[in-house]
Amino acid sequence: MRAFLFALSLFWIGLTAPAVAQLPGQKAVAVELLAETNAPAAGETLTLALRMTPQPGWHGYWKNPGDAGVESRIDWTLPAGVAPGPIQYPVPQTLIIAGLMNYVYEGPYVQLVELKLPAGLATGTKLPLRGKYDFLACTDEICVPQSAELALDLTVGAPGAPRARQADFDRYRQALPKPLGSEAKFETANGRFRLAVPLPADMAVADPYFFPITDGALAYAAPQAVSRNGDMLIVETDAAGQTVPLVEGVLKIGPNQGLTLTARSGAVPAAGAALATGEAASGGSTTILAALGGALIGGLLLNIMPCVFPILSLKALSLAKAGGDERAARREALAYTAGVVLVCLALGGLLLALRAGGATAGWAFQLQDPRVILLLLLLVTAISLNLAGLFELPQIAGGERLARSGGASGAFWTGALAAFVATPCTGPFMGAALAAALVLPTAAALAVFAGLGLGLALPFLLLGFVPALRRMLPKPGAWMARLRRILSVPMFLTALGLAWILGRQSGVDGMAIGLAGALALALGLWWVGRRQENGLGWLPLAPAALAAMAAILLVPTASAPAEAKAKDMLGAEPFSEARLATLQSEGRPVFVYFTADWCVTCKVNEKTALERSDVADAFAARKVAVLVGDWTRGDAAIGRFLEAHGRSGVPLYLYYAPGRPARVLPQVLTTGMLTALPS
Amino acid sequence: MKPIVFAIAAVALAVPAAATQVGQPAPNFKLNDADGRTVSLADYKGKTVVLEWHNPGCPYVRKHYDSGNMQKTQAAARNDGAVWLTINSGAPGKQGHMSGAEAKALVAKEKARSTAYLLDPKGVVGKGYQAKTTPHMYIVDKAGTLVYAGGIDDKPTSDKADIAGARNHVLAALAEVQAGKPVSVATSRPYGCTVKYPES
Repeated sequence: MRAFLFALSLFWIGLTAPAVAQLPGQKAVAVELLAETNAPAAGETLTLALRMTPQPGWHGYWKNPGDAGVESRIDWTLPAGVAPGPIQYPVPQTLIIAGLMNYVYEGPYVQLVELKLPAGLATGTKLPLRGKYDFLACTDEICVPQSAELALDLTVGAPGAPRARQADFDRYRQALPKPLGSEAKFETANGRFRLAVPLPADMAVADPYFFPITDGALAYAAPQAVSRNGDMLIVETDAAGQTVPLVEGVLKIGPNQGLTLTARSGAVPAAGAALATGEAASGGSTTILAALGGALIGGLLLNIMPCVFPILSLKALSLAKAGGDERAARREALAYTAGVVLVCLALGGLLLALRAGGATAGWAFQLQDPRVILLLLLLVTAISLNLAGLFELPQIAGGERLARSGGASGAFWTGALAAFVATPCTGPFMGAALAAALVLPTAAALAVFAGLGLGLALPFLLLGFVPALRRMLPKPGAWMARLRRILSVPMFLTALGLAWILGRQSGVDGMAIGLAGALALALGLWWVGRRQENGLGWLPLAPAALAAMAAILLVPTASAPAEAKAKDMLGAEPFSEARLATLQSEGRPVFVYFTADWCVTCKVNEKTALERSDVADAFAARKVAVLVGDWTRGDAAIGRFLEAHGRSGVPLYLYYAPGRPARVLPQVLTTGMLTALPS
Repeated sequence: MKPIVFAIAAVALAVPAAATQVGQPAPNFKLNDADGRTVSLADYKGKTVVLEWHNPGCPYVRKHYDSGNMQKTQAAARNDGAVWLTINSGAPGKQGHMSGAEAKALVAKEKARSTAYLLDPKGVVGKGYQAKTTPHMYIVDKAGTLVYAGGIDDKPTSDKADIAGARNHVLAALAEVQAGKPVSVATSRPYGCTVKYPES
């Protein structure tokens, strides 16, 4: 009974005045209105800040409040001609209460509103700004609509006067999401909402989340799976069931960092390497089965890839050599399968462990380290030389003996090698299954990696267990040696490809070191081959192996990004208005460009037009100075400069001929356009 | 007191977990009313049924009850032969949760005109219908099809003064259902406080 009375009393308190009951004499969220300057000039756009300070335990809402809640509103009463803009919100946080999603701010936050002042106001004119600001404040338990009376009295001042709170406002502006610039795509199918956002592949992203502004397109409380497929960031979650023509929202890409974007209906590419999001992603059993099936087929297809086929053929040869021995064939097939599956599992487990550690590693991650590439290069070179007949490996040279006894371990290591070499061959058809594996629970993901290995091993397994298939294999003979020599050709080509990758990763020096290592190894193996003819051992390989190891240690691991070189090539300096003014006063032509890591258009322009030697030559010939403004972190001075040029975001390309005003260049640059500039 | 509460909590049954969408059959459910009687949606087959999600402490619910707007809407619906079920999915211990006796007292005090006040302390029916806010309104037509889901009107504020100029989505939809016409605004964004479901 006591509990009932207590509940009843709570209920009555709740009924009459929940806000007062919770917080006697104070507001759940304190609101403060500030202007960037109290003496704005006529005709300018003035920024106002609503500084919100929630009491502990309380939160305010974003523009789209989520599953419940309401949007904030301001009813302005302003002097004639003063036009208010919309409320600008910083990047919000997610808050799930009992399965319902809320898009909120749990700590202090600042919303901005811009006011356009009419031209022709006399200095000293009073500007009384009044408004009624309605917003919702909640705890996890109760919600209280808040209403704040906004009042600020400004006086029209002289143009160009310093703004008293500019530094504070620069910080507030930095917390706002930036316009992405390029258009995103979304599609809804089978109850899933999928979004593709163009974002350069090398742009670091932390804890990504898509906050939709458009209501009804996606289920707010459903977990989001975020992955990257090249220059696309893919967000996948449950659809909410309504058909919408376009989806607006904010993509969070880091703490207090976000991009506003608009997505139109269109094709969304397959998911790629998964990115860790705040919540653990989960997958149903159908997803697991689909991923497993995809992995199996993918593994099967890998068999015909040029980097795997020679190894497979090699093994098939030895199996054919084994002749009619049923048990040996099965044992070899199983050993080969075990080797393939175990290496796939090890690579998958390593990838998952790296991901758990927060690294944004993708599949084939092991090929991002030039030392691993060099190791593969040496391995492939050795295999090629072996196939070409320069020397004989004991396993293969053993022939009959190995088919009877050591065949199993030989087959195991061949399988392991096939799996390791196959990873660079994982083409686009593998992307979907692997991405699914990465968002699945660890055990299921490992099952998918095992499926990949099983697919890779399947043809050989069949060969081992179906004698009819094996009988179709031609009888061993002199043709085998010839075929082996022929198979060395694709293997040599693989080595060439690896050398090229090594060159891409660590430059000409790295490639030279790598080739020197390969040469040392080749000479050592040649010597070994000569000695084998006389029945001698493997001793000369030791110095060759040492030289190869030295090469691995020497190869430069710090990749030399082409971008940095190109920036040096143009002699670009960081942008500042002061530096621009100095260069102009020196009478030098100046090319200014603004970029950001998340801007695909900027990166494309830099790669295809700006970072070109003919542009560098043309600029150097006329002593064109180059200034770069990097807006990735939302630098406020750059933001103001962009705004002054009528842009809300990047890219922006400006050319200042001596003594002339800035010429705004198109957003898509061509080399021809740039080389023609200085003339 | 306690056994009754448990008995009420125990009778939340038969709501499929699949998403409820406008244009599809409204899932059946059974809940206890304020008097402890079991009420089932199937009991009202052949009648238009309005579902209203309720929390007595939510300011947005207060807007429509203190102004008399919700009671007026309930009376208008029932005069046209519709059934009105008010559902409270507040979990025990959370703001807005009520026992049967408390609910009866509240209904009497506020002169609410609903057919029954139903208690859903486990949130099973609320989650089955994907009720997110209080108020959150649904209309089921005589054939048992869900024909409306969303807010009570188009002014998402807590200010009573906004009721006068707002479009009452529920009354408009009921009139269209009565006239045999399709519902012109079949979904809208519900507004208000979150439903206080138990933490799962």
